[in-house]
Amino acid sequence: MTTSKQGVHIGRRLSDSKRPGETEILKVENLQVSFPTEDGLVQAVRGVSYTVREREVLGIVGESGSGKSVSSMAVMGLLPKSARISGSIRYRGEDVLTMSERKRRGLRGRKIAMVFQDPMTALNPVHTIGDQLAEAVLAHDLIPRKDALARAKEMLDLVGIPQAEARLRSYPHEFSGGMRQRAMIAMAIINNPDVIIADEPTTALDVTVQAQILEKLLEVKDAVDAAIVLITHDLGVIAGMAHRILVMYAGKPVEIGEVDQVFARPRMPYTVGLLGSIPSATVSGERLQPIKGTPPSLINLPPGCPFSPRCPLADDQCRTAEPPMAETESGTQLAACHHWSKLAEATDPTAFFRTNSETS
Amino acid sequence: MLAFIARRLAISSLVLLAATFIMFVLVALSGDPLADLREQSTPQAQAQMAARIKALRLDVPIPVRYFGWLTDLFRGDLGVDKSGHAVSSQLALATTATLQLVVIATLLGAFIGIMIGVVSALRQYSSFDHGITFAAFVCFSLPVFWVATMLKQYMAIEFNDWLRDPVIPLWVIGLVAVFAGLVWASIYKGRWKGKLTTFAIGFAVTAVVLYALSASHWFADPGLGFPFILVVSLAAAAGASTLVAGWENLQPMYAALASAGVGALLYQPLQPVLSDANLLSILGLALLTIVVSWVLGHTLGGLLRRQAIPLAVFSGLLTGGLIFVDRILQAWHSYTVSVRNRPVATIGSETPNYSGDFWHVSLDSAMHLLLPTLALILIGLAGHSRYSRASMLEVMNQDYVRTARAKGLPERTVIIKHAFRNGMIPITTILALDFAGVFSGAVVTEHVFGWRGLGAMFTKSLKEVDPTPVMGCFLVAGAAIVIWNMVADIAYAYLDPRIRLS
Amino acid sequence: MTLNTEHAEPTAAPQGMAVTARTQRQLVTRRFFRHKGALFGLALFLFVFVLAFTSIGFGPLPGWWDKPWTGSGTILDRGRPTLSVIPEFLGGSGIHLGEHPFGQDNLGKDYFALTMRGAQISIIVALAIGLVSTFVGTVIGALAGYFRGWIESALMRLTDVMITIPVLIIGAVVGQIAGNLGPYFLALMLGVITWTSVARLVRGQFLSLREKEFVEAAQAVGTSSRRIIFKHIMPNTLGVIIVSATLAVSSGILLETALSFIGFGVRPPDTSLGQLIQTYRSAMVTRPWLFWWPGIFIIAIALSVNFIGDGLRDAFDPRQNRVRN
Ligand SMILES: Nc1ncnc2c1ncn2[C@@H]1O[C@H](COP(=O)(O)OP(=O)(O)OP(=O)(O)O)[C@@H](O)[C@H]1O
Ligand code: SF4
Ligand SMILES: [Mg+2]
Repeated sequence: MTTSKQGVHIGRRLSDSKRPGETEILKVENLQVSFPTEDGLVQAVRGVSYTVREREVLGIVGESGSGKSVSSMAVMGLLPKSARISGSIRYRGEDVLTMSERKRRGLRGRKIAMVFQDPMTALNPVHTIGDQLAEAVLAHDLIPRKDALARAKEMLDLVGIPQAEARLRSYPHEFSGGMRQRAMIAMAIINNPDVIIADEPTTALDVTVQAQILEKLLEVKDAVDAAIVLITHDLGVIAGMAHRILVMYAGKPVEIGEVDQVFARPRMPYTVGLLGSIPSATVSGERLQPIKGTPPSLINLPPGCPFSPRCPLADDQCRTAEPPMAETESGTQLAACHHWSKLAEATDPTAFFRTNSETS
Repeated sequence: MLAFIARRLAISSLVLLAATFIMFVLVALSGDPLADLREQSTPQAQAQMAARIKALRLDVPIPVRYFGWLTDLFRGDLGVDKSGHAVSSQLALATTATLQLVVIATLLGAFIGIMIGVVSALRQYSSFDHGITFAAFVCFSLPVFWVATMLKQYMAIEFNDWLRDPVIPLWVIGLVAVFAGLVWASIYKGRWKGKLTTFAIGFAVTAVVLYALSASHWFADPGLGFPFILVVSLAAAAGASTLVAGWENLQPMYAALASAGVGALLYQPLQPVLSDANLLSILGLALLTIVVSWVLGHTLGGLLRRQAIPLAVFSGLLTGGLIFVDRILQAWHSYTVSVRNRPVATIGSETPNYSGDFWHVSLDSAMHLLLPTLALILIGLAGHSRYSRASMLEVMNQDYVRTARAKGLPERTVIIKHAFRNGMIPITTILALDFAGVFSGAVVTEHVFGWRGLGAMFTKSLKEVDPTPVMGCFLVAGAAIVIWNMVADIAYAYLDPRIRLS
Repeated sequence: MTLNTEHAEPTAAPQGMAVTARTQRQLVTRRFFRHKGALFGLALFLFVFVLAFTSIGFGPLPGWWDKPWTGSGTILDRGRPTLSVIPEFLGGSGIHLGEHPFGQDNLGKDYFALTMRGAQISIIVALAIGLVSTFVGTVIGALAGYFRGWIESALMRLTDVMITIPVLIIGAVVGQIAGNLGPYFLALMLGVITWTSVARLVRGQFLSLREKEFVEAAQAVGTSSRRIIFKHIMPNTLGVIIVSATLAVSSGILLETALSFIGFGVRPPDTSLGQLIQTYRSAMVTRPWLFWWPGIFIIAIALSVNFIGDGLRDAFDPRQNRVRN
C-alpha cells in the first residue's frame, strides 16, 4: 500500500497512476430499473451494460435524470423496495441480484463502496466521524473497536485530513464540505474495496476544492488498488480522470468507448452535443452551443430514438426505430445511432449543432 | 453543557413568571371573591369581608396585588384561601396525586406511542400501518371525559362484577385471538404463507393463554410464578438480542440470557427480602441489578460489548420487573378482600384510610391510577404514534441512512443506530409540548374519577371564585411543565450534538 | 466546463403566474378529492352539519323535526330511543325514526332535538374558535417570522409563555369570565387564547420563505413589507394555514366540550354536546343513551374535521406521500 505524498501537490494525472488490469471486476448486463408511481411506470434505466476492469476508471456522463444514479444504486443494492430491477450485475462473475441478502451485504461497503454527491447530508449528524468510519470496518470484521478506530485514523491521514487522531472525535457539522467529502472517501476505501462508485463526488463542493478531491480519489484508488465508476456532469473531469467513458441518455447508454477515442471521434450526436458545449481549442472564440430542448419523460417513451426530437440528424427512421448499441469503425467504441457514419464523414461534427442552433 | 442548562433555567423561570402574571390577572378578573358575603349584611359578614379584603389584598389594583402575591411567594408563602386556610397544605396533598398521574401517563403514552409509530413507519402502507393510522385518527377525536366515563362504566364497574366469576366466554376468547392474529399478521412483512403462519401462531397462542387463564380462574388470584418468570425473561432476552444484535455473533445474546437467567434464579432467594421491602430497598435492588448485568455484559460481550451491556441491563431489569409484578400480585387476594371485591377503583387516588405493607399500598395506588392513566394514555398515544411515524419516515429517507446501508451495515443497525436515534430528536420537542396537554387532560380525568388532585382543587376554587388556591394550582402545574420542558431541551441537546456543541 | 443544457424556463410574466396559480389550485383540489379519508370526512361533516341545522331549525328558520328542544313531554317506553336501523328482513324492526329517535330524558324532553341543539352550538363554537385562533395565530406567526429583532423575540417569548399554561386551565378561567355572556363570546375568547400552534407553524413557514430568492428579489427592488407579506409569502403559506385551521376546529370542539363538561363552558339555558354529557352523566346506568348520543356526535364532528385536515395536508404537501421504500 502506498501512503500519501506529503507536501505540495503537483496535479496528479491518470497516467501517473497504475494501469488497469485485465480481470473484469464488475459486469453489468442489460440492467433495467423501473418505479411504479401514481402517474405510471417510470422507466429510469432501460438496458445498461458495461464492464469495469481492475483499477480502471469508467466515467459515466449524461443529463440530469438520465439514470446514472439509479443504475449505480442498483449495483449497490440501495434502491427502494418499490423498484423493479432486471438484468444482471456480476461481481467477479457472481450475480449480485440473485445473491442472498446477507452475502450481498458482505459485498456492500467491503468490495463495492460508494461516495455520494452531497457530503453535507451523507454523514450522520449525531455520531462522530471516528465512529462512522470504524463502523464501516466493524460491519464486516469482528475486531476490537480500538483497531477499527486506528484504521479509521490511518484512512483520515491518507485522505489528507490534518490531526486525524483528534478529528476522529469530531462531529460532521464541525467539518467543512471538502473535509466531509474526504471523510466519505476514507469511509469508502477503509475496507480496501475493488470498486468505488463515486456519484458526482464534487458537484456539491466549492470549485477550488473539487480538484483536490478528485486528485485524492485517484490517489487513494492506487492506495487500495480499486477501480472507480465516476459519475459526473463534467466532461473535463472525464477527460482528465477516466480510461473509458459511458454516455447515457434517457435511461440508456448511447455511446461507450476509450476516452481518447470518444473525445476525438464521437459517433453519437448527443455526445457530439455534449462535447460541443465544452470550450475547446477548435471552437475558441465562439459561443458555447448547448443542446436545445429537454430529455423525454421516462413514462410512456415514444418509439424511435429518444434523442430524435433534439437531434440535428434525425429523420423518419430515427423517429420509428430505436437504434441499438452497435460497433462503430473501431471495435472498442459502441454507439447507438442510425447515422453514426455521417458523423464519421464530417470533419467537425460539432458543426451540426452550430448550424442548427444558429438557424433556429 | 452546564452553561446551556443554566441559561435554559434562567429563561424558564422568566417564562414561568410571565405566565403567572397572565394567569393572575385573568383569575382576578374572573369574579368577585366577596360575592357570597355581600348578600349577607350581618356584622359578622362585615368583619369577615374586611378580613378577606386584607388577606387577599382586594383593596389594591391587580398589578400591585400580583406583586404582593409574588413577594409572599419568594418568602415561601403561597397565601390563604377565602376562608383563611393556608393554600400550601392543601396543595401538598393534591400535587403528589396529580403529578404521579401526569408523569406516568406521559411516559407510558410516549413509550407505547413511539413504539407503535416506529413499527408503522417501518411497515409503511401495510395493513398494520393503515389500521394504526385510522385508530390514531379516532383517538385524536375522542373527548377525554367521554373516554374516562366509558372506562369507569365498562372497565371498572362491569370488570369488577365479572371478577366474581372470572371466566372468559369462549366467543370473547375467539374474537380476541382472531384480532391478535390479525395484528401480528399485519406486522409480518412477506408472502401470504408467512402471513398465514403468523396469523395462526398469534391466534393459537392468544387463545390458549386466554383459555388457560380463564379455566384456572387466574383473575381471581393472579400471579406469575417462577416457571413463568424464567421462561418469559429468557424469551424476552433472546428476542431483544435478536432484534438488536442478530444471530451472527452470539455474545450479546449470551450476555442477555445470562443476565435474565441469574435474575430469574434469584426468584426464590429474594422472596424473604421482598416481603418487608420499601421503596428504598426496591431502588437498591434495581441498582444492584444494573451493576450485575453490566458486569455480565462486559465479561460475556467480548468484542461486541457495546451491544451486550445494554442488552444485559435491559434483560436484568425486565426480569426484576417481572419478579416485582409477581410479588405485588401476591398481595392481590387479600387486597381485593379488603376493598370488598372491587379492586379496580373508580373514585379517588387511594382508598381512604387504607393501611398495609409496601405491596398492598403500592397495589392500592396502582389500581387507582389504572383507569385515569389509561384514559390519558389513549388520548396521548395518537399524537405520539403519528409524530414518531412521520419523523421516522422522514429520517429513513435521509442520505445518511443510505450511507449507513452502503457501508454494509445490517438493516437493524441502520434502523436502531442511524434512523431511530435521529428520529427521536424532534420527538423530544413534541414530548415537551405534550406535557401541558396531559395536564389539561388530567383536570378532566380527575373530575370524572373524583380525585382530589390539582385539577379538582383548581376547578372547585375557580367555581367558588377563590383566587389564591387557583394560582397555587397553576403555579405547581406551570412549574412542572417548565421543568419538564427543560428536561426535554436537555434531552434534545444530548441527542443532537449540533445543539450541544454550539 | 460543465455540461450545460438549456431548459425551457417558464417566463415570469403576470399571465404566466396566473396560469401556474390556477394549475396549483387544480392540483390541490384533485389530490384532495382523490383522498378517500378526506371524502369520508367531508361527507360525514356535511351530514352532521345539515342534520343539526335543518332538523330543529336555527334562529328564525323552521326545521322539519316537530319537537322542540326545550319542552318536556310524557315519557314513552321509559324514554328508550325509538330509532331503528336494522331492516325487518334481518330480524330488526325496520328502518324508521319513531317518536323519539334518540330517546327522552327523565323529564320527557326529546333527546334528538336536544342533541341537535347541542350539536349546533358545539359546531358554531368550534368553527369560531378555529377561525379566531387561526387569524390571531397567523398574524402573530407572520409578524414573528417576517421581522427580525425585538418583534420576533417578543412574540416568540409570548408564545413560550402561552404554551406553559395548559389550555384547559386558561380556558376554564376565560370560561369563568366569559361564560355568562353566551356561547359566541366564549368562542371568541377561547380563540384568542389557543393560537400558539398556528403561530408556530406559520412562523416556521415565514422563516424559511423569507430566505427564498423571490422574497430577496422583491426586497432588493424596494417592495414594501406589507406587499411582500401579502403578495409573496402569504400565498405560499396558505396550505399550512388552512390545514392548521382545520386542526384548530377539531381541537376547538374538544376544548369546548371538555370545558362545558367541567362547568366552565356553555351554561344553561344554552346547551352544547359537552354540557349534555355533564348533565346526564349520572344517568349512565339507567339511561345510557343520554350519554352515548352526544358523545357520538362529538366524535363524529372531530373525526370528520380531522380527516378533512389530513386530506388537505396531503393535497397541499404531497411530499410525504411519495412512493419510497
Ligand atoms: N424512487 C423513485 N421513484 C420514482 N422515480 C424515480 C425514483 N428514483 C429515481 N427516479 C427517476 O429515475 C430517473 C433517473 O434518475 P437518476 O437519479 O438516476 O438521474 P441522474 O442521471 O443521476 O441525474 P442527476 O444528474 O440529476 O443526478 C429520474 O427521472 C427520476 O425521477
Ligand atoms: S438515431 Fe437518429 S435521432 Fe438518434 S441520435 Fe442517431 S441520428 Fe440522432
Ligand atoms: Mg444522480
